[in-house]
Amino acid sequence: MDGELTDKPSRKFSVSRRQLLVGGGIGAGLLLAWNFWPRDHAAPLAGNEGETGFGAWLRIGEDGIVTVAVPQLEMGQGVTTLLPQVAALELGADWRMVAVEPAPTSAAYANFPLATRWVPIWRPTLAALAGDESDMVVRNFAEGERFAATADGTTLAAYETPLREAAASARAMLCMAAAERWDVSWEACRAEGGLVLHEDKALGFGELAVEASGFDPPRVPPLLPVSAADTGEALEPDALPATPRLDAPAKVSGSYPFAGDIRLDGMAHASIRHGPVGDAELTRFDPAKGHNVPGYLGLVKAKRWLAAYATNWWAAEQVLRNIAPGFDTPEPVETAAMAEALDAGLRRGEAHEIVASGEGEAALPDRPTLALRYDLSPAPHATLETATATARLRDGLCEIWVASQAPEQMRQAVAAQLGLAVEDVIHYPVAAGGSFDRRLDHDHAVEAALIAREAGRPVQLRWSRWQECLAGWPRAPMAAVLAAQTGADGQILAWKTRIAMPATNRELGRRVFDRFTPWAAMEAAEGEEDVLAMEGAVPPYATQNLVVQHVPVRIALPTARQRGNAPAYTAFLTETFIDELARQANREPLGYRIQQLGGEPRLVECLERVTRSSGWGGGLPTSGEGLACLRMGRADRTGRIACVARTRQGEQGLEIGEVHLAVDIGRIPNAEIARQQLEGGVVFALGLATGSALTYAGGLPDLGTLGAMRLPTLARQPEILIELIESDAEPFDPGELSVGVTLPATANALFAATGTRLRTLPLFAGIS
Amino acid sequence: MVAIPLTINDRPLAIEMDPQTPLLWALRDAVNLTGAKYGCGNGDCGACMVLVDGTALRSCLVTLGEAEGRFVQTIEGLSRGGLHPVQQALVDEGAIQCGFCTPGMVMAIVGLLDRTARPSEDDIAAAIPNICRCGAYPRIKRAILRASGQRLPRREQAEETPAPGFETAPGSDPT
Repeated sequence: MDGELTDKPSRKFSVSRRQLLVGGGIGAGLLLAWNFWPRDHAAPLAGNEGETGFGAWLRIGEDGIVTVAVPQLEMGQGVTTLLPQVAALELGADWRMVAVEPAPTSAAYANFPLATRWVPIWRPTLAALAGDESDMVVRNFAEGERFAATADGTTLAAYETPLREAAASARAMLCMAAAERWDVSWEACRAEGGLVLHEDKALGFGELAVEASGFDPPRVPPLLPVSAADTGEALEPDALPATPRLDAPAKVSGSYPFAGDIRLDGMAHASIRHGPVGDAELTRFDPAKGHNVPGYLGLVKAKRWLAAYATNWWAAEQVLRNIAPGFDTPEPVETAAMAEALDAGLRRGEAHEIVASGEGEAALPDRPTLALRYDLSPAPHATLETATATARLRDGLCEIWVASQAPEQMRQAVAAQLGLAVEDVIHYPVAAGGSFDRRLDHDHAVEAALIAREAGRPVQLRWSRWQECLAGWPRAPMAAVLAAQTGADGQILAWKTRIAMPATNRELGRRVFDRFTPWAAMEAAEGEEDVLAMEGAVPPYATQNLVVQHVPVRIALPTARQRGNAPAYTAFLTETFIDELARQANREPLGYRIQQLGGEPRLVECLERVTRSSGWGGGLPTSGEGLACLRMGRADRTGRIACVARTRQGEQGLEIGEVHLAVDIGRIPNAEIARQQLEGGVVFALGLATGSALTYAGGLPDLGTLGAMRLPTLARQPEILIELIESDAEPFDPGELSVGVTLPATANALFAATGTRLRTLPLFAGIS
Repeated sequence: MVAIPLTINDRPLAIEMDPQTPLLWALRDAVNLTGAKYGCGNGDCGACMVLVDGTALRSCLVTLGEAEGRFVQTIEGLSRGGLHPVQQALVDEGAIQCGFCTPGMVMAIVGLLDRTARPSEDDIAAAIPNICRCGAYPRIKRAILRASGQRLPRREQAEETPAPGFETAPGSDPT
């Protein structure tokens, strides 16, 4: 036995957990990676001089600075604060002395919850395997592929426990070191504010770090109790956060480096042109037309793109403007054809039955109580930062600076294109200037590496805004029908949701994991069922008979995931439909929902709270009040939210003036960040709801600028009022919940204001 | 090529570049001042805003030639002696998420407050066209009010020094 919870300090064992955890030769500090003992993974970071380690979550310097490894992409969601906070609280660190290190990919940071959730994306056949066997395959995949993607709200599910365990072990070791100096029992010591304390004695972490590394931590990390009460005060809207964002000072001073802010010796700046959407190939260009641009350095040509590089980006862009390369596009995307394909799929296409209960479809009569048609346009992500990557090739290595949500898969793609081993592609993680799932794709990283190779110098590739609009794949368009049969009191007897759309997650899987071109990915995914694309389609409302169908439709447009994911659009469908059912039954929308939510007391509580706090008046005609609710997640981690939106008369017509939310997301580690995410989700949803519809002609999008998208601006913001509900359930990521609930609440509010029902997204797609 | 003289963050410089080059790229790629960001290239987003002779302008719409002889202040010049009050207000209000729009937003707000010490909501709406895709707008607005002395600090301090005329009950917004 090498230890119990109450281990006495011990240094005598020659092979100890300490050595596995800490590694040898530590000079300046203490490295720990508790969770992954005893598996042997390559060190994600070679330590600073005098340090070694394998897998690392924490480093404590002699100066007392605690450095926390963050293996997730910071894209505004606050992960570089949230994960360090988890570690700091458990460690007893001083928040002012906590630093962050973006961690490169390693099996030590495998994201198991996401690997499990995304089985339908990377290995759809796995669902057929038995539980244990399937778990093993998932584990092997996640570790083998160093799968640490940042997506689907899995950060805390994946990393909270490992971080806490690492920090609890470090705390015990620091206490042991202090206890030995004071000749007291280490269990009698505690850590607080970066100090180990015992009665009136105190020693700083920095003083103890080196000694602490000589102790064996207890076999079971002595975790501190966690309770919702820790953040109770912070749940109030105007409270100061106990752990303010670590990235804010650097971001506000302009010194925070994004991929395009990297500067390397001899670096050239590159711009690029892709062809129209539709497997376009570069066919003609006159290189001479670019030569007279001052700063011009060269061109790089590939099958599907042309890039120019120069001493500054604008010059590179001018070169391409002058050249205006020509492409041949065999299947240019046309909105009319896309709409036709979706319509045909919806009406006659063969469906995959995703969920069925009771008598399923058979329970619906030919003429159900209500059957409605919905049409959703493709939706661009419109990240403020365009696709940008910096690459340098030297000594057989490719170094790449890029924001990636799936960094290992990006590395693999770059390695495959350059003919390098994955280990020879060095990724320096940089933060994203917004992503909303756009940075799951990584074409620009591959392009930057290829241009750097051809140019023979470091290259920074930046897509223009037009290129981002053209070659950044939007959320899929879709057509849907919802139908329900109701009883005399409006009770739902049967419900059907049928959605015609491309198997977008299957496409994405082939692009990201199998390195297919977008066109090959679409072809491979043709006709496949997409379970993840139907998430949230099962209504929270009780019904005996239910059917959810996905009709896979091949369209010419590659598509992608997006913030809010499937529950965003399925909630729009379900929650506007239920509103119409209520009105058809002559019922008030709140009471009607609650009547059907027998099995969902917590969702009912969200509805009750939000209607109370917002002064819900019943959503009467001309009231401009809209209600919606949403449940996301699975049994062990569920988020619930309810929303009241209210219209007001703005200078440019009717707009959303108030958005009230009541939110049940379990334990809330950082209420300030949760509020930021919830507010941001509302604003993102308003962009989806009231922005411009994206259409294509000849393979070119009509929305080529941010201005054309009619995105939300500071001038027309609703008041957003959020009530966080105290809970000690497992934390649920707040970033996507409010997107899904705001879309239908907005549509319902506009109906209540005007009497006009809008069954499209964006809402005014059919009107303008 | 002729070098174009201008003053950037109080330093006189001469930049040897095509005078048609937008100021943004002169700053970013010639002077390596990367605080101003490229988000659109056509003036839609405001991520590239800098002060030119004290006025907040989109540096993607001003050519280097047009900036000749002028005083340009970038975010780097603003925060040399610690955070500017506008920057501090944005931090305090939690108005920063991905941070890509932030430098342009800061310069736009500084430009606004230099001209209008206590801007109204309409003044703010007119002066800050900047796009923030993370949706930090409500907090940005509060930060502007705070930086212009029109908003109390957040609750902790507010309880110590209640100021008449401000509603500070939870759930209400003094803006």
